[in-house]
Amino acid sequence: MPFFSFRPRFCLPTSLLVVFSLLLLPALRADNITADIDAANRAYTYGSYDEAAKLFRGIIAAQGYSAPLYFDLANAEARAGHPGQAMLNYERARYLAPTDADIDHNLQLARKQAGLEPNSYRWWQVMLRSINWTFWFVLIIVSLTLLLLALIASNWAKVFAQGLNMPEARLRKICKGVFFIFIPLSLVFAFVEVAVIGFGNRIEGVIVAPKEGTLRLSPFDSAEKIGTIPEGELVTVEDRHNDYLRVEARDHHFGWIQQKEIEPVVAGSFDVPPTN
Amino acid sequence: MKSTPAMIPQRPALRAIMHALVLTALVCFSSLSASAAATFTQKIDPPEITLGNTTTVTISIQGAEANDFQLPEVDGLNVISTGVNTSISLINGAFSTTASRTFEIGASHAGSYTIPAFDIGLQDGSTLHIKAMKLNVVPAASASSVPGLPAQNSPPSPPPNLAPYPVFNPNGPVVMPPKVPVGPTPPDASATTTPSEVNPPLEPDGRPAKVFIVIAPETTDAYVGESIPMRIDFYLRLDVAAQQDSLPTIKGSDFLINSLTGRYQEEQLEVANEPYIRDTWITAISAPKSGDFPLQMVRDTYWVKRVRVNFTPLSNFFMTQPTLEHEPISSNQLTIHVHSLPDEGRPAHFTGVIGQLKVTGTAQPLTVAVGEPVTLNFTITGSGNFDYIRCPVLAEDPAWKSYVPSSKIDYQDNTHTQGVKTFTQAVIPQKSGNLPLPQATFSYFDPSTKQYVTIPISLPGVTVTGSALATTASPAAPGDSEAANPASAAEFLPNRVTMGHLYSTLLPVYHQPWFWLTQGGLLLALALGLLVMFIASRRKKVDDSGERLQQQLSLKQEQEAMAKAVSDGNALNFFVAARHAIQLQLGAQWRVNPEALTLGEIRSRDASLAESLEPLFTQADEVIYSGGTGGRFDLAHWERHVRELLQPHLQTA
Repeated sequence: MPFFSFRPRFCLPTSLLVVFSLLLLPALRADNITADIDAANRAYTYGSYDEAAKLFRGIIAAQGYSAPLYFDLANAEARAGHPGQAMLNYERARYLAPTDADIDHNLQLARKQAGLEPNSYRWWQVMLRSINWTFWFVLIIVSLTLLLLALIASNWAKVFAQGLNMPEARLRKICKGVFFIFIPLSLVFAFVEVAVIGFGNRIEGVIVAPKEGTLRLSPFDSAEKIGTIPEGELVTVEDRHNDYLRVEARDHHFGWIQQKEIEPVVAGSFDVPPTN
Repeated sequence: MKSTPAMIPQRPALRAIMHALVLTALVCFSSLSASAAATFTQKIDPPEITLGNTTTVTISIQGAEANDFQLPEVDGLNVISTGVNTSISLINGAFSTTASRTFEIGASHAGSYTIPAFDIGLQDGSTLHIKAMKLNVVPAASASSVPGLPAQNSPPSPPPNLAPYPVFNPNGPVVMPPKVPVGPTPPDASATTTPSEVNPPLEPDGRPAKVFIVIAPETTDAYVGESIPMRIDFYLRLDVAAQQDSLPTIKGSDFLINSLTGRYQEEQLEVANEPYIRDTWITAISAPKSGDFPLQMVRDTYWVKRVRVNFTPLSNFFMTQPTLEHEPISSNQLTIHVHSLPDEGRPAHFTGVIGQLKVTGTAQPLTVAVGEPVTLNFTITGSGNFDYIRCPVLAEDPAWKSYVPSSKIDYQDNTHTQGVKTFTQAVIPQKSGNLPLPQATFSYFDPSTKQYVTIPISLPGVTVTGSALATTASPAAPGDSEAANPASAAEFLPNRVTMGHLYSTLLPVYHQPWFWLTQGGLLLALALGLLVMFIASRRKKVDDSGERLQQQLSLKQEQEAMAKAVSDGNALNFFVAARHAIQLQLGAQWRVNPEALTLGEIRSRDASLAESLEPLFTQADEVIYSGGTGGRFDLAHWERHVRELLQPHLQTA
């Protein structure tokens, strides 16, 4: 008896079943995610904040990052009495949704209750951080592509004019128009891009060490302590040496802090060279 | 890394060459110096000293080499150290050497002493007679009872940037308080010293040790955890100096020491008439437990060891075989008496701070709403063990909620015992009204009075507006999560129930290589396109200029053909050349093939020009078709006409 025999009469139903199952998969997956979020929110509602935080962290690890998930996680951490983690996740939520007033409200409230000064974004910070980089990238690419096409068309205007069945002079006019519009536009895009990346994108971290992080004069365990930064405070990371990060506190004091005492707002940003 | 002074040759070969040169010079002038008569001087300075101080006997011999000699022994006088100094001088063409030998002498008791006369034998066999010298030693109440110890009178100012330091005393200071007053001033003028007062260990030849370390703590009596300022002087004789690659370390584990890295000063000086390099660290030590503990430091030292054969004034130049070696050099050893802090009167919030400190406090803003933070700033200044200083303690007050403070230290001296430590702490009012801030206090132990001190810090009152915050409740039952909130849960906005847009990474796209590669690729393509266009336009320009040159050449040839035809009277050739010249000119102007320019083509482009050219073209056709036999023509007139037609175009070309 053959190991596998092809029977045409079962082919169609089997195929339909497979296709149907494949179509159902995303829906089943969505149901699972919804169930996870429900479970986390239920734990939160019933006061099991640590459990809720654990569930939200699991959802983020499995599904990816989103502002609402970070917001919910931060709420759970705040209620669980973990100000450092709460502030970290509020900052992450705000990073993803800089204009979300609810996130800023809860963040400022948590900061106030932790004895930290408010750090709401200013208008220009909101503007810089609201840039949708995907959209921005498309704009730049379209602009540069049009310029390139116009350059090619003007160089071989006769050929293109014949191909497009239009007078050569008209084609040249169109090319000139493209140059006139998109060269300044590209320069503006480039300027904004450099400005945003150069000045607006600081590598930030939140102190997550219990109670306070210790600032040292140099990046060594034996170095002198020059101060402390309270848990939950947002700092800017300037440099790195082994397991130590050089940070600037809000009062513009610099010092080295152990990496384990600080978490990056943008996960992975401590591993890339600073841009500021 | 520190550097050795440039004047010291570091390489043995270089040193050997220098010695050889000096030796050669000495040999060359030895006859001069040998022929001179030997002279000597003797002195005792000062001739009267206070008990505990020392005087110096100097015997200088010029123009001769002396055999080894010592001072006669005198009961009650001790020779503490000896030194040798040799100088070579050229006076009125005469080369002479002077060897001076110094004896530092101390007395064991007051009285008048006489060092008897004695003879010094010279190497040429002659003898010098040294006269007797008198020394008067007066008693002093405060003088050290140890014979031969350095004096402590009228010291000069300490080196710049370094705090004055106590005399090196092998037994260390023995007096428990008075202590250092608050502030960066020297502890006591009598506790300073100069390099000449340093009493170095001696070599077997009587010279001061090549390398030694002196430690001088501010006190040898201290409390557990107290910061004791200490000076560490590392002396290295210039003739054995080498670059060091280590720091002094403390022997044993009875003391903690501040970091020494990068906090030292190097200078060159003379000790017992010998040039030395001195590395100085100003630091502080502390003891973590009570008891009597030996304090000694050691430095792994890299220096030039050399073999000394015998003592003569010129031995420095002859008998040396430099070798560089490591050797751990230990300092003088002191015993530190570490006392426990008294239990009696210890404040509840005492954190181990020992020193003399002042504390001030401010609050900002003074008008807030309920739930808004008031920032308290505490500044603690003075001297003490700053590592132990914690934020002043706030009294429990239900009207205020306090948070973890942040701190900052600015040290004002190298020992890190003088400084300013500031704390910033937030407190939040829980109710409205004119609220006094919680009482803040700061405690420390003052070693000078041997008492605990608790300072109340006056803080202003704060006007608080708004309604009181809901107090936090006990853990809530399920469904009442807001009440269980350790923070004021009522004001937190609720959770979101959707996931929102998901991102696989939080890193912006500009951290991705493709973001820059795509833009860079497009920019590169644009640049390349522009470059290609530029090159093409340049090439076309060159082609055009070559073509134009060719056309001008052809035009010139046709004009010459016309002129020849006129002179030959050949109408056929003339009209063929004239029409071709016109075609060439117009072809170049209109960028078309000249042969294709018929009268009709010209008329379609420029009717007026065609009208002026029509007679010429018609006549040319007639002549060409008739083979040039159509009659006689005034060719000179036609030639002028054609040239007039061509002239503007020629100018253009």
